[in-house]
Amino acid sequence: MTQIPHSALISALLFFGISTPSAQANEDLFGSGKILATPGVVQVEGAGGAGLSTWAMISGYGTNRQVGASAHHTYVTLDDFTLNATGVTVGLFDRVELSFTKQWFDTGDAGARLGLGQGFNFNQDIVGAKVRLFGDAVYAQDSWMPQVSVGMQYKHASEGAIVRAVGADDDDDFDYYLAASKILLDKSLVLSGTARLTRANQFGLLGFGGPNGGNHSVQFEGSAVYLLSRAFALGFDYRTKPDNLAFAEEDDAMAAYVAWLPGKHVTLTAAAVDLGDIALQGRQQGLYLSLQVGF
Amino acid sequence: MTFLKTLMLTSLKILTLMTTATLMATATLTTPAFADSLYEDLGGLEKIERFTARLVDLTFTDPRTAHQFKQTKKDRLTKLLVDQFCELSGGPCAYKGVNMKKSHIKLGITEREFNALVEQLQQAMDEEDIPFHTQNRLLALLAPMKKDIVER
Ligand code: HEM
Repeated sequence: MTQIPHSALISALLFFGISTPSAQANEDLFGSGKILATPGVVQVEGAGGAGLSTWAMISGYGTNRQVGASAHHTYVTLDDFTLNATGVTVGLFDRVELSFTKQWFDTGDAGARLGLGQGFNFNQDIVGAKVRLFGDAVYAQDSWMPQVSVGMQYKHASEGAIVRAVGADDDDDFDYYLAASKILLDKSLVLSGTARLTRANQFGLLGFGGPNGGNHSVQFEGSAVYLLSRAFALGFDYRTKPDNLAFAEEDDAMAAYVAWLPGKHVTLTAAAVDLGDIALQGRQQGLYLSLQVGF
Repeated sequence: MTFLKTLMLTSLKILTLMTTATLMATATLTTPAFADSLYEDLGGLEKIERFTARLVDLTFTDPRTAHQFKQTKKDRLTKLLVDQFCELSGGPCAYKGVNMKKSHIKLGITEREFNALVEQLQQAMDEEDIPFHTQNRLLALLAPMKKDIVER
């Protein structure tokens, strides 16, 4: 862990053009030194991962001596709802990841049916932090040991009065997670599993906790991705969610996606998603599109 | 819109099946079986010689790595790498060079330099039309060497 300030200092020196005594070439701080696809993409809450799942990889193309960052916009159109998410995610020295994402959940006609008003919006802000603990997803191909990271997400739902009226205890809270991820390079597979402690109703858009559960519960996120070619990956995510609210049942979510990585600076993910029943409007399925630009 | 939805749902189901099938298939395969055939799948010694020569050309000219090889005899390194790749992939060769830790110590090689060399190798193998999945099997054998090669 003492490596962080050390490499931070060296990189800061290089950044400000002060040469270090060694004869090494300048390590470009923003040089995108990671190998294509190895950091994954940005998931719906802004963390490094894919689709609906959070991974142990530190987002961005920065190596242990570099910084990476990206911005994403994610659009999900469901049977009765539309979700938009925009955010930035930064990876520091392949050790720490920080992210901020804002989500807008538009209830469309369902808003009127629910008595909220046509096109009523539930929004939330998500601030995330992740630290890589141990293991190496990419290079330790001679062992089964995954890369393991811990993270948290602070979520703040915009409609405090409404989410309480539907039964939520709070309009803000922390999620905590432990993620383990591994690239099985000889099989061109990426596998990832995450345990998340959360009270979030519908990712937090409908607040936190409720009559059926007021405490954090352990939920699971899993991803399996097959690397089809250098530029295309095929993946599947499954994510369980708590069911805290009494007025409507909440289901597990899943996504099947294709990610297109024409280079390190642009990624496009298209998915078919099934988010289960949301707010008594029946099963919500639809299309997920996410554009990510960065380095 | 209904058509689009049916299409998406069908693709969701197919993808689920495919992922499950892939996972089940890979779970039953053992690594030695792969290692035996990798040499053949790479295209044998002739192909290995070709992509290695190209790799070394790239490594000696790419500004991300060139500075490390100013003192290096190109032909000797190429020969050693060919032997190494051939032996690693299960071919009839024997690597007679110095081990990875000894040969890279004091060079202060960074992760970025290591990855640059991986990208050069990918490019060299692409140019020889070696399939992506075959490339990944070779890279999987080289990846663990990073801990002996990269110092910072
Ligand atoms: C998987 C990656 C790598 C493999 C398999 C590899 C393999 C080798 C081999 C077989 C040798 C010859 C050892 C001997 O002299 O007996 C060697 C030497 C060397 N390697 Fe690497 N290497 C790798 C990565 C790198 C990287 C990333 C750099 C720097 C950018 C580098 C720089 C050198 C240098 C400067 C020498 C010494 C050559 C000389 O004797 O003049 N290597 N490497």
